[in-house]
Amino acid sequence: MNHLSEEQLIDLYYSEDGPESARHLDTCAECARAYDSLQADLGDMRSLQVPPRSEAYGQQVWASIADRLPSYTPAKRHWFYRPLWLGLTTAAACALLAAAFYAGRLWERQPQRLPALASAPAPPAPPRVVVVVLSDHLERSERFLVQLKHASADDDQLALPLRDEARSLLDANRKCQREAEASGDPALTKALDRLNDLLTQLADHPGGLNADALAKLQQELNTDGLLFEVRVLRSRIPDRQASVHHRITGGIA
Amino acid sequence: MGRMDTNDHAAIRAVLSGDRDAYAALVGRHSRSVFRVAFRITGNESDAEEVVQDAFLRGYRKLESFESRASFGTWIYRIAVRCALDKVSRRVNQSTQTSITGDTDAETIQVPDCAPNPEQVLLGGEIGAFRESAMHSLTPLERTAFTLRHMEDCSMEEIAGALEIAPNAAKQAVYRAVQKLRQRLALLKVKT
Repeated sequence: MNHLSEEQLIDLYYSEDGPESARHLDTCAECARAYDSLQADLGDMRSLQVPPRSEAYGQQVWASIADRLPSYTPAKRHWFYRPLWLGLTTAAACALLAAAFYAGRLWERQPQRLPALASAPAPPAPPRVVVVVLSDHLERSERFLVQLKHASADDDQLALPLRDEARSLLDANRKCQREAEASGDPALTKALDRLNDLLTQLADHPGGLNADALAKLQQELNTDGLLFEVRVLRSRIPDRQASVHHRITGGIA
Repeated sequence: MGRMDTNDHAAIRAVLSGDRDAYAALVGRHSRSVFRVAFRITGNESDAEEVVQDAFLRGYRKLESFESRASFGTWIYRIAVRCALDKVSRRVNQSTQTSITGDTDAETIQVPDCAPNPEQVLLGGEIGAFRESAMHSLTPLERTAFTLRHMEDCSMEEIAGALEIAPNAAKQAVYRAVQKLRQRLALLKVKT
């Protein structure tokens, strides 16, 4: 190894050089002498004595500068030292940290959750909606009214089928009524309301249906007029059908 | 955070709230350590006294920029180092101007007129005079860097921070200072 430079010796003196330089001094007399000389010179420089200062020195200094110090006004107070700001900023920082941590966890979980959702079985379908197409209902109602109109007072065989058909139509009619009310069509609503009254009477007529009862209902409820209204409504059915169908498939039960 | 730091920060808050006299507590706690480093850098008691006052005045004016995480003792110490460096630099400049205007040959000496001459050193025979003569051969930066490293036991990073220079520049300043001091001491020892 070459001799140590003066800079290396200085580093060694101030303990800023590695142990390799220190080991070199054990084997190199010339460097050891150079280091001893450096130590002696720098040792002389350490003997500087600082004049002592009494405990009252601080008061003396203060007395000499106090008159030259203007007071800080509270308005100029450093914002960092305001306890309220300090508390708020600390709380805000903690909240942000917590939010970032939580968001990070959610973000990490998201890619794992998506496949799980994709592979999960589809949720159970809602109860199947009996989609009543208005045109079908009106067509059935028309046939029913025609049948009712031609029912013979002597034909008791018609009573039971009419009652059953009336009960069947009654359910469908109520669904159509709700749809008609939602659509805001007064003519359709009115016709279905009248149809509902007729079907209700036929479905649950006290004492059962007979020739007299049928005749009375035909007169009181003007079934001929109702038949006419149904036919008119059916003539408008192409436009209405699309609208109702669209609405019913959109969620009408 | 130590108790002294806590007390210092409380005093700083009071000062910034308008209580000027609270600064007296900070001056009382740190003036002696500031005087010590000021004296070691300037090598002169009266200059050191002025540095202490300048440091606390400058510290008061800059108190709003003090960061609460820091130690006031370290902060005012650094300010004092820079005040002392300024003081030595001004002294050297004044001395050089005096020497140049009074004696054209004196430009090669480059020492302040307040430094003891070799004859005084020899007559006095005191190690302090040797040392002071040697120290006056240094530039203000070298003198300050050497003082902080050799007498104040500051690390190179601390010296660099106090002098606002790169750590390597601080190290080079210490190297040059030691080399110059040794040359000066060798010359004086030969003459004795």
